[in-house]
Amino acid sequence: MTSVPSLLLIEDDDAIRTALELSLTRQGHRVATAATGEDGLKLLREQRPDLIVLDVMLPGIDGFEVCRRIRRTDQLPIILLTARSDDIDVVVGLESGADDYVVKPVQGRVLDARIRAVLRRGEREANDAASFGSLVIDRAAMTVTKNGEDLQLTPTELRLLLELSRRPGQALSRQQLLRLVWEHDYLGDSRLVDACVQRLRAKVEDVPSSPTLIRTVRGVGYRLDTPQ
Amino acid sequence: MSDAHDRLRGWAAAKKAILAGLRFTSLRLRLVVVFALVALTAAVSASGIAYWLNREAVLTRAQDAALSDFQQEMQNRAAALPEHPTQGELQHAANLMASSSQHFSVLLISDDKDGRRIAGNSDLDAITLAEVPSSLRDAVNREQPLTDGNKHPYHLYWQRIVSNDTPYLVGGARVIDGGPTGYMLKSLEPEAKDLNSLAWSLGIATALALIGSALLAQAAATTVLKPVHRLGRAARRLGEGKLDTRLRVSGTDELADLSRTFNRTAENLEKKVADMSAREEASRRFVADMSHELRTPLTAITAVTEVLEEELDAETGSVDPMIEPAVRLVVSETRRLNDLVENLMEVTRFDAGTARLVLDHVDIADQITACIDARAWLDAVDLDAERGIMARIDPRRLDVIMANLIGNALKHGGSPVRVSVRLADSALVIEVRDHGPGIPQDVLPHVFDRFYKASASRPRSEGSGLGLSIALENAHIHGGEITAANSPEGGAVFTFRLPLDASPLTLPPDDEGAVGGGSGEEGGA
Repeated sequence: MTSVPSLLLIEDDDAIRTALELSLTRQGHRVATAATGEDGLKLLREQRPDLIVLDVMLPGIDGFEVCRRIRRTDQLPIILLTARSDDIDVVVGLESGADDYVVKPVQGRVLDARIRAVLRRGEREANDAASFGSLVIDRAAMTVTKNGEDLQLTPTELRLLLELSRRPGQALSRQQLLRLVWEHDYLGDSRLVDACVQRLRAKVEDVPSSPTLIRTVRGVGYRLDTPQ
Repeated sequence: MSDAHDRLRGWAAAKKAILAGLRFTSLRLRLVVVFALVALTAAVSASGIAYWLNREAVLTRAQDAALSDFQQEMQNRAAALPEHPTQGELQHAANLMASSSQHFSVLLISDDKDGRRIAGNSDLDAITLAEVPSSLRDAVNREQPLTDGNKHPYHLYWQRIVSNDTPYLVGGARVIDGGPTGYMLKSLEPEAKDLNSLAWSLGIATALALIGSALLAQAAATTVLKPVHRLGRAARRLGEGKLDTRLRVSGTDELADLSRTFNRTAENLEKKVADMSAREEASRRFVADMSHELRTPLTAITAVTEVLEEELDAETGSVDPMIEPAVRLVVSETRRLNDLVENLMEVTRFDAGTARLVLDHVDIADQITACIDARAWLDAVDLDAERGIMARIDPRRLDVIMANLIGNALKHGGSPVRVSVRLADSALVIEVRDHGPGIPQDVLPHVFDRFYKASASRPRSEGSGLGLSIALENAHIHGGEITAANSPEGGAVFTFRLPLDASPLTLPPDDEGAVGGGSGEEGGA
């Protein structure tokens, strides 16, 4: 990871794009911008940024679709910029694979904090490994394998799995996970956790609809178990 | 449940209808009574006249026949008797007279040679002198002066009497120029029987007419009342808000006219209401769209003002001191505008009914502490809450409610603000109490109104005017309630009651279900 993170900002409104570019640049990021989803996908292939800040309302293919297309090949973090905090927007955005979302009018500082938090998720911290059934988590290499095969996890999914694996068999509440993984304040949106758990289960569980590894603890949150 | 409810309502309506039908003032009863009265009057007067005329005709005919027969017999038999007949002759004559076709009894009275009064009787039991009314005897025996108009000194007289419940005709005459006096007694029983049966028939006819009229009145009432009932039902449905209620119009009478009028009225009403709600919807959408549109420029402005703010705070002093106040103003007002737009968005979401709960299990004390901490109110707020009270609520909305309640208390009441949390019957009761002057009585009912300011002179920087209204809406969406009052010890108290589990209020039942991996196991929670 480079010392100065490079971002791709996809936003159709000129004023917002310019202002956010200005603000983020001042926070110390390298920012590339695109006005449409198509341009954004092209720039993504050319520049390989560390993170994408993506507006939902775009002309042509919308932010959700861009998000889905990126997720087909890439696991880089995506932060959605939504003009509406309407629940359906957030839910659709999280389902299409976004790691986090920020509601407009967004404060540059908040966005910067979110960006840094997302980027931190990919950082290494320990040199050990743990295995849960056929699932092996290598904290040194920051890789996860299942039956010997590498799993493609986003930094957020990886971080969630790491936090759960650090306390095996112990239930973590959604608010705890929001603080640990997303570094959100006390007002984290629990749907972020639920959506991420759902995506993670699709990748690590044998049968995602009847999970044996990441279990729901009713009324509390989630727990990582070693399968019997 | 609604089925049973409907049935109950239907039954109650039927009972009411029956009671209304029995009520004296009901149209149906009045119609029946009037019809019956008319029928009764007509039938009784017709039968009365018919009976009277018949009676006279029957009696007169029977009487005339008997009397003329009696007169004839008197002339033929009694006048042929010698002046002083014997008892036997008299008896014989009486028997002969009585054997006429008219079946009457005859009593002949005369003086015999010795001047003794003798009586000849056709049937000893049937007639005696005692049965003849004295007034008739007097009239028969009274000699009248002869004039041009009266050629005979004696006349035939008659009278009707009732003896042993049997009507009789009694007639009497005297043979002119010294003959016997004769009386006849004829039973009018056959005639009375005829008349009786006539009266019975007429009575039965009257009764039938009464029944018929009642039935007719019932039918007439039904034809009138059925449309009236339908109209009443339709009006009730209209009143319940079913504005598409229409009546089927049939016929051309006044009730059809009324139905047509009703339909026109309902149509106009429906159109007007649709119009009004469309206009309301349009204005609501306008506010929603407007706040949306405001967000785009605001996002750009907000991002840039932060840059300006950093310049202001920088030690380098790169901002011209002359324009520094202007920049500060822009920064602070942009923040205010942000809040206002945020609140407007929130309000429009509530108005449009699109506000949804995002539930999570949280520790209430932790949440409130975090809320106070995040706004740097820890010094001004005295929190009395035990950790460990877990509730299933929307943490963001709880934060909005608490921030608005505490912020309002700090603004209007002043510190220290006391916040207490306790449990009461599986509900959470959070009290926010300030130590200010309290809320004036005339303001109290309006504290939750949008843009309501207690006094016009209050500086405008005190808030968007939407805070408490949003807090209340947020409480309602949780199934909770906020009330405002003044504490007897002084200061305003806002009491916020909140159910411990708001999940029954969310539709779909669990918001996590949309995205949550755990929904499969938690969905029914």
